[in-house]
Amino acid sequence: MKLLIIEDEQALRDNITNYFNEDGNICESCSCLADAITKLSNYEYDCVLLDIGLPDGDGFAVLEYLKVQMKNEAVLIISARNSLDDKLKGLNIGADDYLTKPFHLAELKARVVAIYRRKAFNSNNKLVFNEIVINLLGRTVDVNQTPVILTRKEYDMLLYFIANKGKVISKNAIAEHLWGDEMDMHDNFDFIYTHIKNLRKKLLDAKCNDYLSSIYGIGYKFKAE
Amino acid sequence: MKLWAHYNKASTIITISVLLAGAVIYYFAINYIAQQQLNRDLTEEFEEVEDYVKLNGQLPKQADFDEDQTTFLKTSKDTLKTRYFDTAYSDPKEKKTEAGRAVRGLVSLKGQHYLTTITISREGTEYLIQIIGAITLALMVGLLIILFITNRYILNGLWRPFYDTLNALKTFNISDSNTFHLKNNKVDEFNDLNHVVETMSLRVKTDYVNLKHFTENASHEMLTPLAVITTKLDTLIQDETLKPEQFEQINDIYSAASKLSRLNQSLLLLVKIENKLLDDAEELSLDGLISQKTRQFNELAQSKDIRINEHLGEKNITASKYLIDILLNNLFSNAIRHNSNDGWLIITLTTDKLIFQNTGCEKPLDADILFERFQKGQKSEGTGLGLTIVKNICNLYYWDINYSFEHSMHTFTIKF
Repeated sequence: MKLLIIEDEQALRDNITNYFNEDGNICESCSCLADAITKLSNYEYDCVLLDIGLPDGDGFAVLEYLKVQMKNEAVLIISARNSLDDKLKGLNIGADDYLTKPFHLAELKARVVAIYRRKAFNSNNKLVFNEIVINLLGRTVDVNQTPVILTRKEYDMLLYFIANKGKVISKNAIAEHLWGDEMDMHDNFDFIYTHIKNLRKKLLDAKCNDYLSSIYGIGYKFKAE
Repeated sequence: MKLWAHYNKASTIITISVLLAGAVIYYFAINYIAQQQLNRDLTEEFEEVEDYVKLNGQLPKQADFDEDQTTFLKTSKDTLKTRYFDTAYSDPKEKKTEAGRAVRGLVSLKGQHYLTTITISREGTEYLIQIIGAITLALMVGLLIILFITNRYILNGLWRPFYDTLNALKTFNISDSNTFHLKNNKVDEFNDLNHVVETMSLRVKTDYVNLKHFTENASHEMLTPLAVITTKLDTLIQDETLKPEQFEQINDIYSAASKLSRLNQSLLLLVKIENKLLDDAEELSLDGLISQKTRQFNELAQSKDIRINEHLGEKNITASKYLIDILLNNLFSNAIRHNSNDGWLIITLTTDKLIFQNTGCEKPLDADILFERFQKGQKSEGTGLGLTIVKNICNLYYWDINYSFEHSMHTFTIKF
């Protein structure tokens, strides 16, 4: 997957680049609107991560540009503005998703993977990871051709882990992904433990490899082999 | 009281007092003039009597003075000042007594003085005064009616631009991006008013936009560094050579960062509510939203074995879905977080109120400071803004929120 990261905060840009720069992804980045337009006019990308507040203009201009040029890049807006207007405006003029700062890299990755999947494999609704086959439309999971019945949260979590395979994901990130920050789960992560335990048990029962491991009480990792 | 009614009251009082004063003055003036006229007539009569006496050397007979009554009395007085006075006059034809005017003076005939009194009827002048009085009264009533109608209709017409401006102001919406425009009219004062109102509304709108921008900028400025912290931590934990103690430290930083982010978002939300920046009100089914939230929070409740009991009547409200979502989230998470294990959460919704009751700490909370910013329980992990946000959302929609402690239940009641 080829990504363009348009973000003016250097530390954030580097973090995102590092996190995405495995898995055969190619990340390019720029810090202002003018560079972004130049890059977009010269190269093709699969996905664009777009910060709305740029030093030389509004990030919406990038969306307008893509629309006018009839380019097919998937766009995910990263914005510090948690305003409904902006969100609707962004989605209306062609953004595929909208993520509010601060966010976890795992969340960003999961969303980018999701929109990339939607754009790239329109006809193919199957996500295959070794022996795990996920039917994205029917929201069903097969392990070694045996259906595994997952709850909604377990299914969401499995997709989330696969999108972030090989990465340590903090419990905070998982909690926010599953419940959203508005539910105010605070530091009560018992739920995550329960859900992960159940998911792991169901997968193991279906003779799946044990991909999930707990990392020092900070989070979990889904092995990438 | 309407403007025209005030105007009416003032003009009625002034008109009546001026007309009454006028009528009194008028009455005395007419009376005086009439009296003068009568006195002149009497003087003439008296002179005629004197002339007659001088010419004929005898007292005139009653028959010589048509309807005037003349009496002669012998008197021993030598001098008497001629004087005029009101008296009764008996009409010989109609045989009744009327108001009359008389003159009394001395007439000398052959050395003998006679006290002479001539009385004439005042009926004519009385009648005149009555007519004038009636006309004055009719004028007064007529004037009042005309003033009343004038005030009511002409005044209303004259003030029409004012009412137009007033109505335009009533519908003025600060977040409406249309500029506020008022019609010009013939009255300079109203044009001035419109001009001032337009300038003011423009300034208010500019300030409002600036405020909105400030809110957004503040949000941006704080959230970007927070995003850097969070993503740095996400990157840091990928390093599996870290020691468990270091992971523990990172965990604490994660918690602090997420708390800071929630705090920031809560404060910005408060600013937005207080400045009424959220005006996406729509018709919502509150009972539907509550049962949806109950399902969402079910897991959280189950983890503490809290039983949720709903009594939901149908209730539709017009409000921002986003805000109602936050309101319910805060009420639910409070009721669950501060609940005891194996406790109860009872939600009652009727057409006029929404009640959240939960078990928990056995002591009532201090209702006075409960809704204040940054007031939170000792064990609370929250931001201390949850109930402030709830209260502000209620204020925004003019709902009344109360806390009470009834039957060992912490009770939050929202009255619509």
